[in-house]
Amino acid sequence: MRRFFLRRIGQVIGTVFGVVTLIFFLQRLTGDPTYLLVPETATQADIDAMRAALGFDRPLFVQYLAFLKQIASFDLGRSVIQNIPVWDIIASRLPYTLQLAGGALLVACGLGIPVGVVLALYRDHPASRLLASIVLAAQSMPTFWSGIILIMIFAVTLGWLPPSSTGGIEHLIMPSLALGLLSMATFARITRTSLLDELSKDYVRTARSRGVPMTLLLRRHLARNASIPVITVAALEISNLLAGAVIVETVFAWPGLGQVTVQSILARDFLVVQGIVILGAFVTVALNLAADLLYSAVDPRIRLDGTRR
Amino acid sequence: MLRRGRGWAAALLGLSLTMAPGALMAKDKLTVDLVNEPSSLDPQVQWNPDSYYVYRNIFDNLVTRDDKGEIIPQIATAWKQTSETEVEFTIREDVTFHDGQKLKADDVVFSVQRITDPKFASPQLGQFNKIVKAEATSPTTVKLTTDGPYPALLSQLVKLSIVPKHVVEAVGKDAFNLKPVGSGPYKFDSWQRGVQVTLSAYDRYWGPKGPFATAVFRAVPDAATRVANLQAGTSDLAVTLDSDLAAQLKSSPKAKVLSVLTERVAYLRLNPAKPPFDNIKVRQAVAYAIDKGAMVDGILGGYDQPVPEMLTPAHEGWVADIAAPSYDLTKAQALVKEAGEGGKAEIELATSPVFDQRIVQAIQQMLTEAGLNVKINMSDMASYLKRAQGGIDATPALSFGRWSCSCQDADGVLFPLLHKSSSWSVYRNPKADELLEKARQSLDEKVRLEAYRGVHEIVAQDVPLVPLYQSAAIYGAAKGLQWQPSPSESMFLNRMAWKD
Repeated sequence: MRRFFLRRIGQVIGTVFGVVTLIFFLQRLTGDPTYLLVPETATQADIDAMRAALGFDRPLFVQYLAFLKQIASFDLGRSVIQNIPVWDIIASRLPYTLQLAGGALLVACGLGIPVGVVLALYRDHPASRLLASIVLAAQSMPTFWSGIILIMIFAVTLGWLPPSSTGGIEHLIMPSLALGLLSMATFARITRTSLLDELSKDYVRTARSRGVPMTLLLRRHLARNASIPVITVAALEISNLLAGAVIVETVFAWPGLGQVTVQSILARDFLVVQGIVILGAFVTVALNLAADLLYSAVDPRIRLDGTRR
Repeated sequence: MLRRGRGWAAALLGLSLTMAPGALMAKDKLTVDLVNEPSSLDPQVQWNPDSYYVYRNIFDNLVTRDDKGEIIPQIATAWKQTSETEVEFTIREDVTFHDGQKLKADDVVFSVQRITDPKFASPQLGQFNKIVKAEATSPTTVKLTTDGPYPALLSQLVKLSIVPKHVVEAVGKDAFNLKPVGSGPYKFDSWQRGVQVTLSAYDRYWGPKGPFATAVFRAVPDAATRVANLQAGTSDLAVTLDSDLAAQLKSSPKAKVLSVLTERVAYLRLNPAKPPFDNIKVRQAVAYAIDKGAMVDGILGGYDQPVPEMLTPAHEGWVADIAAPSYDLTKAQALVKEAGEGGKAEIELATSPVFDQRIVQAIQQMLTEAGLNVKINMSDMASYLKRAQGGIDATPALSFGRWSCSCQDADGVLFPLLHKSSSWSVYRNPKADELLEKARQSLDEKVRLEAYRGVHEIVAQDVPLVPLYQSAAIYGAAKGLQWQPSPSESMFLNRMAWKD
């Protein structure tokens, strides 16, 4: 167990270091933000002075060492565009990202898993086929389109929900639906496949022949045994959701991390992008760790070193 | 018992107030949907429209422009050119900052010195660094000295916001950015990062007061959502719409379209050092091949206006009767033929997603019809700007852009684009350089206008640029909002009114 954790911490540091180095050099391949900051009438001398003031005139490697030194002391730096610490920007956006990810996950799991169970248990029923096509439709709709359609129906025509921005729970409903419906299909499909796999096993046939009701079987045995692939997918989906749902956030003017990431990339606000990427790397590694821990809790045969007893 | 009775009376009064017919009520809160949130509210540390819309209501400037575009007094009540390089401004005496302190000549001097200090590294430095000295000659007069005669000084000072010396010095740059204090008609209230900035009306404002008790500026990046907010009645004003979205708003019972021709000029820039544009015939062919009218009416919904020169009527330096090549496809095709094999060289048309791609594609098609071989090359804005200002070798053969100097003076458009000393310029013409320098250094309006006429004629004949159209700014507004947008794309809340 201890070795497992030590190895994992080593992995975290290696992953974050690699990601940070990659993003540092990738971003600087095409220049710096100076041209975007100054008016069109600025002369070359004005531009050079601005570049020097921001420190972008230093050799790339010097900038990289300064950056490493900075993050070693847990300082993410300051945004050159917004003139505030990067951490303040992340801290102000993170709660909105968590809310939206939570809402979307609720929609995805809350609808996806029961739908997957229905699809597996009634696989040959015509209603099940209809449901499968609805799920497929939900997955096929691009969010920039489904988002605007939701807004036009529920905010403009019916006036039930606010079209955009933040506030109460009512502001969260449409963005969560638009984002969650995409992942919902993934959950439904994985649940269905995994459950069908379990249903074909001998212990299920034996139990059914002994008269064990399906609901009991589902609750006691199938749910647990079929959940491993669902946990894997959940870990991946959550890290996707936390990385930011750029399109949904843009359509609904939801001030999450995805929106600020894209804006910062376009504005060449390097330190903000780096800060968010570091956070994203941590979250992804942490969620994978959580999924590993859950595997062994759900299935005691699985050891944390990845082998089966 | 009595207390409870009073409570009921207050509640009834409140209820009757909220239910009063709209026409009797003033609009309490104005909600404005911008594209992004302001990057900063310190008027001297950034240069972008979303910040500008907000902070221009918190701060007064030395001078301003009226709705027609004329320069009028604001903090300065009068000004006098005392020598070729010196202007003396009389400062208004009844102005207070939002903390109650009086605005003095020292604050004006401090604001000029702060923005022109190279160490402060303001992105706006280049707009003010002709000013070499600012001094208070009395408690109510300020003298500005420029490094030479500088006719565009007033046009630049329209953008100089006056910051309070005592506050900035006491709290420092970073804290001032978070909680700006100005002397404008609205004071800063709160900033919910990523969501909205709230301002409230300043009761002691010296000039026309803001008609709304509070104003909320929200960040709504998607234009379709800004329109939906107007249609749903959850916002009152939205910026940066295109003609398609404007058409959608026209049928809305709650909203309307407001538009204005701005000081932005859409243009094509040709690099005469790169084939095939090293041949003047091919450059002229481009000018004849572009159908500006079709572009404006067919694609842009008729909001914009074709221009014969690289300026708009909103600029100092606009000459009304410039004879520029107009659309003549046969002539364009003939010129390309005359150019021979050289005319068939592949032309890179550089653009960025920021610009209207429908226009870029139309340009490609029009030039192809004339017999040219055009390939569109799209890159992000930072890369586009880097190449555009990278000198003769880096600058693409052809680029599409929209130019705004936010100064409404020809010097801010023609000098950077054409003079050999500018990083934007790939054009080398001693005659044009001479005229541009002459106009830059003369305080005589007639002399300047004559010089600019010469430059416009050179552009029309030698075609280093093809001026296309004066861009429109299209806004969506709630039916009740009374507002005349201005060519400078300012959004002064105290020039708005509400009528249900």
